[in-house]
Amino acid sequence: MKKIVALLLALILVMGLTPVLAEQHEEVTLTVGSIWSAESEANRAPFLQTLAEFEEAYPWIHLEVDWNEANAWKEKGETLALSDSLPDVMYWNAGGVLWNLVGSGDILALNDYLTEDIMARIEGGTLTDMTFDGKIYELPYTKACSMLYCNTELFDKYGVKIPETWDELIAAVEAFKAAGVTPMTVGGADQWPTNMYTDIIALRYAGDAACRAAYYKTEGATFMTQDWLDGVAAFQQLIEIGAFPDNAASLTRDESEVAYFAGEIPMYVHGQWFAGSLSAEMQQKVKAVKFPAVGKGYDNQFMGGAAEGFCVSAYTEHPDEAFIACQFLAEHQSKNGFIAGAGLPAWKYDFSAYTDTINPVMLQIVAETSSADSFLLWGNTALTGDDAVLIGETVFDVLKGEMTAEEWCEEMETIFE
Amino acid sequence: MKRVLSNKWSIMVFVLPTLVFFTYIVTIPIVKTIWYSLLSEIPAIAKDSHFVGLDNFIKLFTPARRNAFPGAVLNSLMYAGVSVFIQLPFSLILALLISSGIKGESFYRNAYFIPVVISSVVVSMLWQRIYKDILPAGLELIGLSEPKNGFLANSNTKMWAVFIPSLWQYVGYHMLLMYGALRSIPSDIIEAAIVDGASGPRLAWSIQIPMIKPMLKVCLSFSLIGSFKLFDTPWVLLGRDAKDLPALYMYVTMFSSHKYSLASSAAVFIVVECLVFTVLLNYIFREQNERQPGRARRLSGK
Repeated sequence: MKKIVALLLALILVMGLTPVLAEQHEEVTLTVGSIWSAESEANRAPFLQTLAEFEEAYPWIHLEVDWNEANAWKEKGETLALSDSLPDVMYWNAGGVLWNLVGSGDILALNDYLTEDIMARIEGGTLTDMTFDGKIYELPYTKACSMLYCNTELFDKYGVKIPETWDELIAAVEAFKAAGVTPMTVGGADQWPTNMYTDIIALRYAGDAACRAAYYKTEGATFMTQDWLDGVAAFQQLIEIGAFPDNAASLTRDESEVAYFAGEIPMYVHGQWFAGSLSAEMQQKVKAVKFPAVGKGYDNQFMGGAAEGFCVSAYTEHPDEAFIACQFLAEHQSKNGFIAGAGLPAWKYDFSAYTDTINPVMLQIVAETSSADSFLLWGNTALTGDDAVLIGETVFDVLKGEMTAEEWCEEMETIFE
Repeated sequence: MKRVLSNKWSIMVFVLPTLVFFTYIVTIPIVKTIWYSLLSEIPAIAKDSHFVGLDNFIKLFTPARRNAFPGAVLNSLMYAGVSVFIQLPFSLILALLISSGIKGESFYRNAYFIPVVISSVVVSMLWQRIYKDILPAGLELIGLSEPKNGFLANSNTKMWAVFIPSLWQYVGYHMLLMYGALRSIPSDIIEAAIVDGASGPRLAWSIQIPMIKPMLKVCLSFSLIGSFKLFDTPWVLLGRDAKDLPALYMYVTMFSSHKYSLASSAAVFIVVECLVFTVLLNYIFREQNERQPGRARRLSGK
């Protein structure tokens, strides 16, 4: 009898200890490479909240965050990759920029970790530019797209209609010009903001399939078509009728946006993150709309897609924990970023409780893009290395008036050689 | 102590830590950069990396529409010319004026030196405001307009817009070096020259400038090498993707185009260019030094 009681007691003791033992985890410290070092970054506050939520959910995984400025991180990350010393988890762009690291074996494929449950929570189509040869290397936290931001106060003041077609856009530019208002702005010195204009105009003329083929260098793709030519010529038309400031080519993005924030510029084409930079007052004045149609039938196509996310270094000593962190940061930043008005969500979540507090411009973007036909990454993100530099330089030359549409097409065609 | 220093093994033990450290952080990176410049691409990013000899250097100078390197080298040579023929003479004139005992000598000396102690990035940002706001506003006041696309994007003005702040910033640096050399000339020589009737330009040309030649050589070396390595000011003023100077070309080729071997060959070229000009400068000055003893011998009749 004593033996049975002792055995039972021992059994109870072991069973009682099991959950305690199961809850025990080895303390792990992971390094995280992040952008959003500046306090003014729309994504910074939500990311701090995401980190706090992670700390609460996984107290045994400690995250050491290395904060960087976006461009500086791109350069630093590439340098760290060369010495196989990337952080365990890191922010990174998708498309060609990701491919640079995947191609050299620096990024861990996540397929083995992605359960059906996780995959079901990710918005459809967002993994396109994070997947290579069937392997998923990055998880998105936001969906990007470029929009035409119209200052309704200026449109009302000068009696101009918000453009829906190319002709209406030209008419709006001319009307503002006649009233002494600079119609649009662009930070030419940084090159990539000009791509925002040329990419969306080219998309309207050539369509997603032709642009995608060219940016991803698919066999048979070409820039030597009438559609590409018309697209670049249309951008030149905007320059020629004075849509941009005279010194647009020497303005950085920050400088170019100052006048818009001050309510002096009626139109601006930029990414959805721009909505997060608008003040509460400006959010009430700005309306984000689709870029005008040119009559080619590609009106509901957008530039953008999931171009940013989190990935895991192939050299991490803790791949399981690194994946947990990567997935958590991507999913929660998607939620927190959208609630804060910093970006569109790339993960499914019920936001009905936050409708009153979310940036109204961001809600307009969600409404405009909810039935989008397609999203295509910007040329300078989809293309890699020298090709990405070339599209930036050539578009800059067009902005400066030093390159014709024909020359642009011919020079871009050289990327297929 | 003498016994320790005369022992070669002891010397080796003392030198070894520095030698190892220097080799690790200087020699190995330089050798690696040279090696990378001779490869098709660095092994870290290309599995088929192979030796291509001088192909990358040939590529640097092969004329092509988007090959910015030859133009970048020309721009750096132009900047070197402007530094040598405008910046240094101007610094010398300032040094001569300030060291001539003018009233407020200390104030002027410090005032001209202030731009040197300010970070180049800050100076560049100040000049950015001048080019983008102040100068266009001033031109508008007198009925003129800024060049097409602004001073910093116009092909005719952008390099000058970069050169001017760089020249302005380092005038004080060269001035101070020359001023120090002028101040170290023994006063009895100056006084003797004045007694002999030399003054102003004659004193400067015949006495002061010849006596500070070693310092002028130092300034010339710094100025030339600085011209070929110029990076921070144009990087801020022209934007991140500008390739108008060799160091900018190297940076963009490495971090935007991801052509590490080509960028390494640009880096090697910059180092070789600096070395060639330094050796050339030493040769020119040595020639003059060598001529002087001969001249002295002839004068003394020996």
